[in-house]
Amino acid sequence: MTDRTRIFLLLTPALLLLGGLFLAGLGLGLLRSFRYMPALGLTEPDLSAYAAVLASPGFLASLGLSLWIAGVSTVIAAGLAVLSAVLLRQTFPGRAVILFLFQLNLTVPHLVGAIGILYLFSQSGSFARLAFAAGLIGAPADFPVLTQDPWAIGIILQYVWKEVPFIGLILLANLQAISPGHEAAARSLGASRWQAFRHVLLPMLMPGLVAASALVFAFAFGAYEIPLILGAHAPEALPVLAYRSFTDVDLANRPEAYAMAMIIALIGAGLLAVYARLALPSRGRDAR
Amino acid sequence: MMLELRGLTKTYPGHDRRTVEGLSLTVPQGSLTALLGPSGAGKSTVMQMIAGLQAPDAGDIRLGGKSILDVPPERRGVVLVFQNAPLFPHLTLAQNVGFGLRMRGLSAPVVAAEVAAMLERVQLAGLGNRRPHELSGGQVQRGALARALVLKPDLLLLDEPLSNLDAGLRDEMRALIMTLQRETGVTTVVVTHDQAEAVVLADRIALLLDGRLAQVAAPREIFARPATLAVARFFGGVNFLAGRVTGGAFDCALGRLPLPRGVADRGVADRGVADRPGTLTIRPEAVRLGQGDGALSARVIGTTFLGTQTRVELSVSGQRLEALLAPEAASALIPGQLLDVTLPTEALWLIPEDQKHG
Amino acid sequence: MRADRVRLLAGMALALWLVLPLVPLAIWSVAHGWRFPDLLPVAWSFKAWSHAFSASSGVLHGLGQSMLIASVATALAILVGVPAGRALGLYRFRGKQLVLLLLVAPVLVPPIAIAPGLHGVFLQLGLTGGVPGVILAHLIPVIPYMTLVMAAVFGRFDTSHEAQARSLGARPWQVFAHVTLPAILPGLLTGALFAFLVSWSQYLLTLVIGGGRVQTLPLVLYGFATSGRNDLTGAIAILYILPGALVLALTARFLTGRAPGLAP
Repeated sequence: MTDRTRIFLLLTPALLLLGGLFLAGLGLGLLRSFRYMPALGLTEPDLSAYAAVLASPGFLASLGLSLWIAGVSTVIAAGLAVLSAVLLRQTFPGRAVILFLFQLNLTVPHLVGAIGILYLFSQSGSFARLAFAAGLIGAPADFPVLTQDPWAIGIILQYVWKEVPFIGLILLANLQAISPGHEAAARSLGASRWQAFRHVLLPMLMPGLVAASALVFAFAFGAYEIPLILGAHAPEALPVLAYRSFTDVDLANRPEAYAMAMIIALIGAGLLAVYARLALPSRGRDAR
Repeated sequence: MMLELRGLTKTYPGHDRRTVEGLSLTVPQGSLTALLGPSGAGKSTVMQMIAGLQAPDAGDIRLGGKSILDVPPERRGVVLVFQNAPLFPHLTLAQNVGFGLRMRGLSAPVVAAEVAAMLERVQLAGLGNRRPHELSGGQVQRGALARALVLKPDLLLLDEPLSNLDAGLRDEMRALIMTLQRETGVTTVVVTHDQAEAVVLADRIALLLDGRLAQVAAPREIFARPATLAVARFFGGVNFLAGRVTGGAFDCALGRLPLPRGVADRGVADRGVADRPGTLTIRPEAVRLGQGDGALSARVIGTTFLGTQTRVELSVSGQRLEALLAPEAASALIPGQLLDVTLPTEALWLIPEDQKHG
Repeated sequence: MRADRVRLLAGMALALWLVLPLVPLAIWSVAHGWRFPDLLPVAWSFKAWSHAFSASSGVLHGLGQSMLIASVATALAILVGVPAGRALGLYRFRGKQLVLLLLVAPVLVPPIAIAPGLHGVFLQLGLTGGVPGVILAHLIPVIPYMTLVMAAVFGRFDTSHEAQARSLGARPWQVFAHVTLPAILPGLLTGALFAFLVSWSQYLLTLVIGGGRVQTLPLVLYGFATSGRNDLTGAIAILYILPGALVLALTARFLTGRAPGLAP
């Protein structure tokens, strides 16, 4: 058996199954977003669903909100993750505990995190009670609206809670792979600790950081159940809006749901392009 | 058993690795043959083809007179000991040594008895329960050898068995390989890139250069009588004199040097002419200082102390020559000094012109 | 000395923040009446837990469904992901980039983009509203994680051990059982744990393909979370994170953070 045959046989089951499911879902969604549904007598594809979606203020508000959620969550989580990775790189009492909590956090489903954030930060939640006990507020309504709020603070808090450990662990793994010699060389060349970090370590971490951030952005942008729990009623996060129009009793609105799905897929494809440039080995660099 | 390779050829499409080209070689039964060559010469590929782990593009592999091309590796009776996979890390030493026997489905008591006897033989008795990471480098190497020999193979292939060892262990391991090979009489092929190692270890050396067989001979023979310039250079040859053979002597920059009988005739049969170009070579350790028959006047260019020997660079009639001398013999030499050198006739060897590029 | 104090304080703040959202959930699960502005419940009770374990709540059924779906999806992912990971980890070949791209695509393209179309396809095949369809849908995010972890595992795998075993007389299946499997097992378990958790956490694909008829634990949890039963919600939430936490505690030595396929 030649290597080529062997590679083909090894890859085929996974690619058939995954490609079949993924591309079938994407393909049919694409056809329907063009209003191509022979079963309903629609055989002339057009772009009217996209036109309707893009013209609706509700969609644009939801798109904006989801981009805001994903963008802010990613930036804050990435920043805190870099800090915690640098912290966890050193030895100090309790380091092992935090590492374990980081890994534990990875196993907690987002939905649980969302409910936990809700119980912590809602107007009758734990922090509101602490504020009341401290005499800062007189009633739940006096507590600032941090969940189901227009700025999606609760949603962002949830993502920061879940994704700091995710990015942090990836950065820690990358840090372990970087030889301490580079930093030492920078220090001996006259760089301060901060300069050595800023000009030597951080650039080396950057590809991993950006790739992990792309994953986080994609998840925060496309997740459904977290904004469902922690989001305000209007505007809704884009996935919530897309699901609601998909389950709309009025079947005439279905193509618009598919069009929204495709626009979300397009944004995912954009992230894929970013990720591919940074994280996938290019031809020449691949060791084998 | 006797191993015969016939026209063995292997190309890797899309790889820039060297290929093996039309390799034919006979390894006599019971011999210890070294397959020698620089890294990238295709040695390991040849071993993997003999062991059945890779299929040749063309050619035949015969063991004991029968082609084994269609025999799967586990039934070939050939065991290849890899250089970089000494022992399975998740098994104990005893489990490692018993691995092949267990794969054959032998019962546990039989395996245990064979393993114990084998461990005794390689001086690892009592260490059977240790994991590879609890063993020293030398013990791991001996374990790997035991794991192969316990199967009583018809042919044993060792891929760079000494390359990862430091000097002391290397000698110990070399001695063990030679002893076990003599005791068991197993036909053995050792791959190595180190000519000194091949010379000490093997009774025959097959030199592989650029995927082709350059020469097969006993160590002494290949040292003194290299078939081509490339072979001579690989074995540390440094003294090459261009010239012509005429009437049993060699005309070159140093004058007319008489050739030993037999050497002067080299290439005559196929050329059919008595006057032809060639390259004369002499091992640096054969060059003598002092007066004698046909002594030449030389000037010392420089000396380098090498420990057990001293290398002396000489200029003879504008031709550069190197001599390896005992340090005490060379201690008084200073650059610029004039002296006499002798090139003993019996040490001269001729490489005909058309084989220059080997 | 001061840097040490800063480090310690930062570490303590981080640790507190990491456990904080889980605290009210745990307290709620054993609370009996916990109204604003009480800092702690007025009374404690295991009523929420006993209700969660009663058949009528549907929690155990949800747990069973989630276990079944995540286990089968993980098993299928191992079956196709180990070979594919081997190809990606050991060989370089034309089209490798494309294969990697296809594997990463389901991670970066959100489920909501694929679910509607997939629902249409599954409707034609009669796969909606049932466990098999949900399992197949979960494979979309699960296979990439399994495969990418295995690709990394095989990237560090030394095939000369396999060749050595072959030469020592092991048949191909013996080589796999005695040499390859022991070597890749820690990585395989890590990958399987994450594959399991990816399916275990899946919400939208279950909702769309199951059409509400497949009630996995997250769907049950969401139902109680939005019906004001905070005590039961707390209990289910704790129950929901328990398997992952348990497996993690048992296999902590395998997880060094080097696992490349962590789910965001």
